Amino acid sequence: MATRPGPTGLTVRTYQVGFGDCFLLSFHYPPRRGRGQGRHVLIDFGTTKLGGKRDPKAHMLRIANDIKAVCGGKLTAVVATHRHQDHISGFATQQGKGPGDVIAGLRPEVVIQPWTEHPRARPDARKPPRALTGRQAFVGALQDMHRFAEALLEELQRLSTPALAMSLGASGGPAEGVEGGEGVKAAVGRRMREQLRFLGENNLKNKSAVENLMTLGRRHAYVHYGSRSGLEGLLPGVRVRVLGPPTLEQSAAIAKQRKKDPGEFWHFQATAGRRYAPGGDPLFPEADRYAAPPPQARWFVPRLHAARGDQLLEIVRSLDDAMNNTSVILLFEAGGKRFLFPGDAQVENWSYALKHKAVCKLLEGVDLYKVGHHGSLNATPKTLWGLFKHKSEDEGESGRLRSLVSTLRGKHGSVDRGTEVPRRKLLRELAKHSHCFSTEHLKKGDWYHDEKFELDGPGPGGGV
Amino acid sequence: VPAPPQARTRPLTIIAQDPSVKADGRILTATVDVPAEELAPGPWGARVHVIDYDASTRTLYKPRKYPGGKGGVPDDPFAGADDRALLADPTFHAQNVYAIVMATLARFERALGRRVSWSFQGHQLKVAPHAFADANAFYSRPDEALLFGYFPGRGGKTVFSCLAHDVVAHETTHALLDGLRERYTDPSSPDQAAFHEGFADVVAVLSVFALRPVVAALLDRRRGRTVRRAHVRPRVLRKSVLLQLGKEMGAELSAVRDRPLRESATLPPSADYLRPDNAEYQEPHRRGQVLVAAMLDAFIRVWAGRLEALGRTALNRDRVVEEGANAADYLLTMAVRALDYSVPVHMEFADFLSALLTADHEIRPDDSTYHFRDHLRASFAAYGVRPSSPGRDGEAGLWLHPKKKPRHDRTHFEAMQRDPDEVFRFIWENRVALDLADDCYSRVLSVRPCLRIGPDGFALRETVAEYMQVLDVEARELGGLGIEKPADMPADTPVRLHGGATLIFDEYGRLKFSINNKLRHPRRQTERLGYLWRYGHFSRGASFQRRFSHLHRLRALNHSFQIWERWT
Repeated sequence: MATRPGPTGLTVRTYQVGFGDCFLLSFHYPPRRGRGQGRHVLIDFGTTKLGGKRDPKAHMLRIANDIKAVCGGKLTAVVATHRHQDHISGFATQQGKGPGDVIAGLRPEVVIQPWTEHPRARPDARKPPRALTGRQAFVGALQDMHRFAEALLEELQRLSTPALAMSLGASGGPAEGVEGGEGVKAAVGRRMREQLRFLGENNLKNKSAVENLMTLGRRHAYVHYGSRSGLEGLLPGVRVRVLGPPTLEQSAAIAKQRKKDPGEFWHFQATAGRRYAPGGDPLFPEADRYAAPPPQARWFVPRLHAARGDQLLEIVRSLDDAMNNTSVILLFEAGGKRFLFPGDAQVENWSYALKHKAVCKLLEGVDLYKVGHHGSLNATPKTLWGLFKHKSEDEGESGRLRSLVSTLRGKHGSVDRGTEVPRRKLLRELAKHSHCFSTEHLKKGDWYHDEKFELDGPGPGGGV
Repeated sequence: VPAPPQARTRPLTIIAQDPSVKADGRILTATVDVPAEELAPGPWGARVHVIDYDASTRTLYKPRKYPGGKGGVPDDPFAGADDRALLADPTFHAQNVYAIVMATLARFERALGRRVSWSFQGHQLKVAPHAFADANAFYSRPDEALLFGYFPGRGGKTVFSCLAHDVVAHETTHALLDGLRERYTDPSSPDQAAFHEGFADVVAVLSVFALRPVVAALLDRRRGRTVRRAHVRPRVLRKSVLLQLGKEMGAELSAVRDRPLRESATLPPSADYLRPDNAEYQEPHRRGQVLVAAMLDAFIRVWAGRLEALGRTALNRDRVVEEGANAADYLLTMAVRALDYSVPVHMEFADFLSALLTADHEIRPDDSTYHFRDHLRASFAAYGVRPSSPGRDGEAGLWLHPKKKPRHDRTHFEAMQRDPDEVFRFIWENRVALDLADDCYSRVLSVRPCLRIGPDGFALRETVAEYMQVLDVEARELGGLGIEKPADMPADTPVRLHGGATLIFDEYGRLKFSINNKLRHPRRQTERLGYLWRYGHFSRGASFQRRFSHLHRLRALNHSFQIWERWT
């Protein structure tokens, strides 16, 4: 049986999506019967904080139609690395007219998602397995994280009201004399509210996008470290390895001790957010309450609000990290070149893969690195960065590492605390040792960037 | 008619551990005597102000009034109250936190023989028993407060962290330790990062064991007047008391934090935990468990030892309980006293052990009856901790007296007992004798006269002063100080080196000890810099605001630190 030839080139199109990810990988094959051949893989399709006057839905529709044009109406695969809004919001449908509807019309052969999205792992599946497995419990925790995000946004509304305003007092009415008005400080500062809102919204469940992803492919691959990618046979001459996320068992193997189930933590947080709120059941229904803070409490009450804001930010950041760490990490290998797409995977996700010498050896030869999590401080582990052998300070060197960052500064983290995204220190390192393209380099009006590779080397070998 | 004498203490009902620990089907309670004071509604006293504000629901609960009581003896409004009243009345929750905070403060003041200040300017620590709907509780220095969260428990009922004795004592200890040693929250070594958590757990757990009803309930499940000798052997006590309470204690609160007693009581002795290549125990909360494990091991050894003389077969139950509570109480007092004999900066477990031994030796030189110090040495050694000091006078681990005699002729005894400027003058005059770095900034942090009563009934008067030294250099200058620069640290990185000493003066004003952590100690400074560089403490904006909140959250999530992988 004759083997089909491998691709002769690869174009990676990086779309401008504000703070989010959207990449179209187009593998070019030798023409057959005079016609060019291409196989196309869409990795993520999400946007937040697009900025300007651009309507996110219209913008994503424009991108969807561009994808349709590039791939000639047929996608080979869709990869949704994880369920954050900035990676999947574009998959949402709108009565046949949304960007998600356009992508669905491209009839992808396979949809690749992390194992945490497996329908049988859902706690609300019709036929749950006999025993509650660790997998189900973890997926339950993800649901709780969404619920916490919802509750957080509700609480944020309350924290946006004046600092000394109280909920219903003993008399049953609102507090007197502390209703605020212009110039009255909110309980939590503007900058913190913005961060909380951004993280909260990014972690809300996008039901439409999730449901579309469940139905739009001919088949689904729910992958984990070392599993088949689902692309076998679909991309001739291309080998795709799954380097993450690890399963719970795999994670536990490297953590040595797993004394606590973080899922329990998220369950408490989710339930607490729903149950304890103004209008809900009072904590102590029969207790006497003040209608307004007496003088001796007025120094303390605003400070407690600020502390609460800090707490919420801390929790939602943990939540954001946990979601990021469900990201699919894919390593494509074709024509002697390697292309690494790790979604938003952070150190904890990477840990398992980086324990394996064979994987580290493979990563040494990476030619294109999609920078993890929009360039945050903890999604390009220094161990990983240290492995890349094609790094070079010589800009003219052929085969120099290329890196892609899809990002938008000023939306995530803080410069003062050294947590800004993209992290400047990392960007400097990327610029020094690789051809680094960031979506922030796009000129006004430009909405994508193409990175092209010629592929004519030997076929891939080795394995995870 | 002369006014009746004012009561010195006020009895108050508290929940002995937490609502999940029961005896005869009821929540196990205890009565604690706290220093009496003119309480305003809150309770709001000279050192603690309970403000029951809930930021999640924006509710401020009205406090209970505490009238004077009959004959000058204050009332305990919840004496004999049923479980429902304890759980459903927020004013009991307020009383519970007030009483445990005050009892912990009183214990520190009694052990140290003086008033103990909070770390902030004011005098009253704010306490919010229902601060927010969150599975967390923490001490916040910027807010001058202890904040306790609440959350839905597994059975649907609300769990209140303010009702857990060990949680309240733990957070209070953070506040007290921060007042006594303000530099212990500085980034330093894995030991110092772990010490705050570990020490707070030690105080929390031993405080619970010092309550007789708790020890009585756990000893065994029988209710006879005697206890069989076989049931009080060290191995059995570990199982019945430590593990049983560890199992119950914090079961509902495991979302707030891991379970300190359970985790530490099940940590078998080994010198491997603290080895530098053991990454798991580089993390502060995990490392702190080793300190707790060593102290609990000593507690069981002391307790079992005290029971040796009580008989061969059947032992009097009340006596067994009393010996257990006394052993916990004394070890706790030793641990608190040790703080005065501890280095002011860069605390390590080995320093703490020498401090424990020396502080006790000063007030109770003869250890031949209960062998507290022998047991501590053995327990710490079993967990890989050897004292910093070689010891003297035939006893291992005690701090050494100063080698060179300092001059006292240019300072004045009276002023040396309270005046930082006078103590600084003493340090300046004796900088050679004290082996100080003489090219850096120096500052006296505190001068504290104290009076402790020894077991012989005599008073031990001492003055404790702390000073610190600071030297700012660039990384390229480290080599000249004999300190190795971390390999990938840029040469122009600003580096701040700390050193300092605790000076103990005797009742005649003579220097007894200079407990020194020298600024120019190349090996220790090299190790610290390597650790801090690796763990990202040189990153700009590394924040320690509300650091205990963050630490507890990581503890709850069993989070692993891999800071060295980050672009800090």
